[in-house]
Amino acid sequence: MKENKGIRRFSRWQVFQHGLLAVCFTGLALTGLPQKFPQTTWAKGLVLLFGGVERARFLHHLLGTIMALQLLWHAIELLWLHLVRRYPLTILPRSADIRHFFQQIRYNLGLEHTPPQMDRYTFVEKIEYLALIWGTVLMVGTGLILLYPVRWSALLTGEWIIAAKVAHGGEAILAVLSILTWHSYFVHLRHFNRSMFTGYLDEAAYAEEHPLELARLQRGELPKKAPVKFGRLLAFLVLCGVLLAGSILLLVWLRSSVPQL
Amino acid sequence: MGWRKLVVPAMVLAAAWLPGLGLADQACLSCHGSVEDAKAAAEALGVQLAPGELGRLVVQLEKGSVHESLACTDCHPEAEEVPHPAGMGRRNVCLSCHEDAGNELQRSVHRDPLGQGFFRAPCWSCHTAHDVRPAKDEASSLAPQNVARTCLQCHNKQEYLVGVHGHGVQMAGLDLAATCVSCHGGHGILPGSDPSSTVARQNVPATCGKCHHRVTKVYLASVHGRTLAAGNRDVPVCVDCHAAHDILDPRLPRFRGSSPEMCARCHADPLLAAKYGLRAEVFDTYVADFHGTTAELFRAVTPDQPLNKAVCYDCHGYHDVESVREVGTELVQKRLLVRCQACHPGVSERFLSAWTAHYAPDKNRYPVIYYVRLFYQLIIPSTIGFFLLYIAVDVWGRRRRG
Repeated sequence: MKENKGIRRFSRWQVFQHGLLAVCFTGLALTGLPQKFPQTTWAKGLVLLFGGVERARFLHHLLGTIMALQLLWHAIELLWLHLVRRYPLTILPRSADIRHFFQQIRYNLGLEHTPPQMDRYTFVEKIEYLALIWGTVLMVGTGLILLYPVRWSALLTGEWIIAAKVAHGGEAILAVLSILTWHSYFVHLRHFNRSMFTGYLDEAAYAEEHPLELARLQRGELPKKAPVKFGRLLAFLVLCGVLLAGSILLLVWLRSSVPQL
Repeated sequence: MGWRKLVVPAMVLAAAWLPGLGLADQACLSCHGSVEDAKAAAEALGVQLAPGELGRLVVQLEKGSVHESLACTDCHPEAEEVPHPAGMGRRNVCLSCHEDAGNELQRSVHRDPLGQGFFRAPCWSCHTAHDVRPAKDEASSLAPQNVARTCLQCHNKQEYLVGVHGHGVQMAGLDLAATCVSCHGGHGILPGSDPSSTVARQNVPATCGKCHHRVTKVYLASVHGRTLAAGNRDVPVCVDCHAAHDILDPRLPRFRGSSPEMCARCHADPLLAAKYGLRAEVFDTYVADFHGTTAELFRAVTPDQPLNKAVCYDCHGYHDVESVREVGTELVQKRLLVRCQACHPGVSERFLSAWTAHYAPDKNRYPVIYYVRLFYQLIIPSTIGFFLLYIAVDVWGRRRRG
């Protein structure tokens, strides 16, 4: 908590994860969107930059795999922090968020004198986080269908594979437009928030956006890590095992050849 | 001046000892043997000649001409008189023996509009004037490898040389590959607009079939070939897909990659589609599919990379294209499964609906795809609209507060 840098908001590890995610997201959009609009000139130009559609697809699959691993890692991290170390899930929406949302609108319209007093995560951030998680789950899921269409046809009719393609493309447009509007406005245009790159947010911005958390920090109430207990550790290990084994089994099944008729 | 009149006969006599030629021919060559001789003779006779005309008067005789046994005066009888009488050149001397060829030429696109033997392409522009040789002689202007050069003197069709036929003749040394005359004919060439031309639309399959006879048989039994035989001019003939002169080797990735666009020239044309009750959206629905997306991006970005995704003719056939309406949906689906399995071994009937058969999904056809699409068509504008509205209010509030 150095004075000149501001207040630490994100750990270095979180900053790294966001950076990796931003690279993957941009790369996936640039290699994926031309495939949704193949008849346009810009799509052909982009594919030309990547050196052909086969290479664009290779990059798309590579970045998608990294993003899927990030999702898996994020789930394990959540389990560890919440289940074992008993961190509160402050990013999940509460009823207060709906209140804050309407209060912020009334405040913007001049119907209210005070802005909503928000905690570590504002409803703006919660919307974005939940959209990101939902979107990544959907993109990884539909992406795996598109990557192994013949394997999936053992379970699904062909129509569902094309529906997965439509959902993959639709969700991509939604995600890119959300980043260009919601994300760009709140972290770049409203004021340039560097905390996701430096890890620190200046006190004035903290006081405006997260007054409740700032007050707690100033009172010296830092989030506490609960001691590791055997029962919780066991539950964590079992859940992680299920998650990893499930992922590996899915991959083995996807890569197995379809039995010849 | 009088003595000058003796110079030419004197030169004729002086040249009489030249070996290997008849006495009379040797005499002719004393003036027509080289540019210098012709110039000297013209000066002696006091005739003014342009430099180009001088060259045309020179005759070089080499062994192997089909007319070797003829004397100069057999074709140019007026030339026995020296100096030669005026107007000698205003007669097609070939026609005195080759009347049939002349008549045929007069019926062709190279005819003389006045009917006096002054053809648009006179005999010698293709056969050469004096060094006329049989086509099997490599030095002939009409040997297979020289035909293109001969015709290209007037016709701007260099693209023939880079096509498979031109390449075959010129680079691969194939005397069997088609030259200009193989398709257009020799003396009786007619324009494509003439219904009896070898290159008229209705006759193109028969012309190509002279060499490609089995393909032509298959084509004539296809929906395109049968419709052509019924007198329809909209259906494609060989050259519409393969081109007439710059014929691309159909084994090249470039041909395969650009083939969907080739079919789309007719099948995505709304006017033609309406005329025959076809669906013009077949191309767009193909490009929207994974195979079509890939083919389109390959064509535009890496046209020379081999493309292993299905293009139109992988499912519909090449020369044996059938009408899907005539075959019937049931049989089409049965055959489609075989086609899918060729690239995707192990797939069952369940997989078939992954290809929406050129239909844009709707409530009745492929409803799952339709409703997923509808969901995103609603959710994208409403979500982004909500975002923008909220942002607008926030911007307004911040500006108001200053």
